[in-house]
Amino acid sequence: MIFDPNFIARLIPALIEGAEVTVELAILTFVICLVWGLVLALANSAQGPSSWIAGIYIQAVRNTPLLIQMYIIYFGFSMIGFGLSGFNSGLLALCIQNGGYVAEIYRGGLQSVSPRQYEAGRALGMRRSTLYRIVIIPQVVARIIPPMINQAISITKDTSQVAAIAVMDVMKVAQVWVESSANTYDVFLGVAVVYLVLTSAVSIAGRLFEHKLAFAQ
Amino acid sequence: MKEFAPLLHGYWYLLRGAGMTVLMAAGSIVPATVCGVLLALAQVFGNQAVRSIVVAYLFLIRGIPLLVLLTFTYYLLPLTGIDLPPFWGVVMVFAFYYAAFMSEVFRAGILSLPRAQWDAARSLGMTQRLMLQIVIFPQALRLASPPFVSLCANLVKATSLVSIVGLWELTMASREIVERTLAPFQIFLGAAVVYFCICYTLALYGRYLERRVLQGH
Repeated sequence: MIFDPNFIARLIPALIEGAEVTVELAILTFVICLVWGLVLALANSAQGPSSWIAGIYIQAVRNTPLLIQMYIIYFGFSMIGFGLSGFNSGLLALCIQNGGYVAEIYRGGLQSVSPRQYEAGRALGMRRSTLYRIVIIPQVVARIIPPMINQAISITKDTSQVAAIAVMDVMKVAQVWVESSANTYDVFLGVAVVYLVLTSAVSIAGRLFEHKLAFAQ
Repeated sequence: MKEFAPLLHGYWYLLRGAGMTVLMAAGSIVPATVCGVLLALAQVFGNQAVRSIVVAYLFLIRGIPLLVLLTFTYYLLPLTGIDLPPFWGVVMVFAFYYAAFMSEVFRAGILSLPRAQWDAARSLGMTQRLMLQIVIFPQALRLASPPFVSLCANLVKATSLVSIVGLWELTMASREIVERTLAPFQIFLGAAVVYFCICYTLALYGRYLERRVLQGH
């Protein structure tokens, strides 16, 4: 039966419980990637071996599927003696892959500031720290916010793949409910609404943040 | 190198899986591109009603993970009575999903042409059709080609998700070998290398196109 109110009343709390895991994974991944991506981008723009190590890392993680990375960590690591739980494996794989994408966003932002800006700052006699604080970083931040919002949305959607390694996120909850109830339409609508609400929330929060920052400048 | 013996036994099976991955990706890219172009045209040249339908479609697709759409197509298609082989069902989902992202790429290509190009064509007395045909579209397609290629690499990675709904391709092939050999680390690493070869080739091609586009300006 489609739109069975009794069924929906039992489904909603289960989906919300799954959504909590999804949100937790997405927030942790995004915060860790903001730091890890910056480390990678700085390493990549420096000279010497750190630059090519970071370069190889970024290309390697961006050109292999997240699902395969999760399988390597979840199934592979336990075979060689570092067993991780499903949640931790999923989180690690999400951070490893998205760190590469976030690093590229930082790199794009840093490169988009013209060298003349540095020269102009120096010509005005600014110290290095002052130059970065009031000339370079504000411009970089303004440019990386829109792609960062997209990345946060992409991370939120990517978390659904942890269902493949038996983490009870909203996707896995939906799979379990479909298989046990055969009430596919209701479950599909429910899980679609959960993801739409989450991704819209990310996008609205991002736009508010961007707006607030634009006033601050 | 004894640890990598399972990979030596299984490599031919993995490569056959890779063939299926490439076939699936290529089969999806063609309809996705056609739908993407149509969506972009509808959004740029359509009237208000058409535009709002396209925007609603983009909102839905961009807010729901691909895995959710794949899983529920797998459950829902038999219920709707449409008798589609699983391969074509998957290709259909990929086409609809990636069309949304392709349309953004093509739209950006059309809109990023300088206003002067439109004005010049009009002042030469070109008809709307001739102007689009020989001035706007050739340049827009050239601008859109680098992000288009990176989207294709993205689609190749995303085909790994179909293994979750039980279709056979590279990821499923590697899972089958893992079940027989109990060597998840080596086999999934091998699969990752195969994905990397496909996607990195596409990424290099995209970078080459980008350099050519930049030279042209």
